[in-house]
Amino acid sequence: MITPYTALLESLSRQRGVRASLIVSEGDGLVVDANLRFGQDGDPVAALAASLYRKARLSARAARLGAVGFLQLDAERGRICAVGGRNDLVIVVVAESTANVGLIRVELLKALESLE
Amino acid sequence: MADEIRRWSDELAREPASLVFLQLSEALRRQGQLEIALKIALRGLERHPRHAEAHDLVARIAVDRRDFERACDEWETVLRIAPDHVGAMKGLGYVCFQQGRFEEAERYLTGAAAGGGGSAVHAALQTVRRSSTGAVMPGHDAIPAVDPPWLFADLLVDEGQTALLLDVNGFVMAGVYQDHDGNDLAQEIGAQLSGISDEVLRATKRLDIGEWRSIVFETHAAVVAMAPGADESLVVVAASRATPLGLLRRLLDRCAERAGLWLARQGSR
Repeated sequence: MITPYTALLESLSRQRGVRASLIVSEGDGLVVDANLRFGQDGDPVAALAASLYRKARLSARAARLGAVGFLQLDAERGRICAVGGRNDLVIVVVAESTANVGLIRVELLKALESLE
Repeated sequence: MADEIRRWSDELAREPASLVFLQLSEALRRQGQLEIALKIALRGLERHPRHAEAHDLVARIAVDRRDFERACDEWETVLRIAPDHVGAMKGLGYVCFQQGRFEEAERYLTGAAAGGGGSAVHAALQTVRRSSTGAVMPGHDAIPAVDPPWLFADLLVDEGQTALLLDVNGFVMAGVYQDHDGNDLAQEIGAQLSGISDEVLRATKRLDIGEWRSIVFETHAAVVAMAPGADESLVVVAASRATPLGLLRRLLDRCAERAGLWLARQGSR
């Protein structure tokens, strides 16, 4: 199914080391659209990314630090990167731990611009 | 940054007497390339032996290399050239504190505070004053005998840096977070981050990506990094937006190490 987000997600998933890309709703943690590999489950990623982003946003507000931009979770065998904007949507990428974060960050910010 | 480093390198190659070595060496230091940063700074010093900023730069590189003796020598030279140099007083205060020389640390930090050293210097000064009434720490990596709010004060040497240690429920165990008006926001931040470790732990397990190591997020005003600590605690560090991520990670590692030692000491009591 082609959606307004298909091209954006395909472009993110083409980055080296990217396993999945999703657009999630920060408010309820549900998947809005996703580009996943066969057999992958996007729900836990969406729930985690939305929750992390919300906590980051609320703690940044408590610390008077302004709006949150890029967020990155590093784990032993993978990483999750996310950016959110003025609306409720968060763009999320799941990548290998060896993926180039700098490049993913640039692509995510570019994707966010096109989303807004 | 890579472009700027290339530009400064080219400029220095064209004009070896240029002061651009200061920017080049500082950029390399921030990237953690300490040996080459030192080499460039020393070469610059050969041409500008009376340049206070060059000596200050060598001192800061020396601190990053844990060469405190060299750092002291350089900062003392800075003060001979420029007696009001705030950076050198801050630096000497930091090294003296690390070495347990609290009286000297207080003297230098008082000077830095009078020279407009900012809130970080005032926090460090409080730490030193509290430490001087308690036990003296024996080595560079030991835990200063300070009240929990000041546990990280000596590690936070740049303006705008702050660190907190939160327990599993988001309660503040150590560290302090003050806004520009001096209001302590630590509890509020802790409350918003409560449960994050547990949640991430469960999710990373389900996603099969191993144990989580850190979360970093950028805001308009700062970069915030956090890492899991002992007993499901959370170490949170914030620094100005200009701070390179590599430097922030080093700061996070140092604070996490300090928090671990402190928690272990609390547990052994």
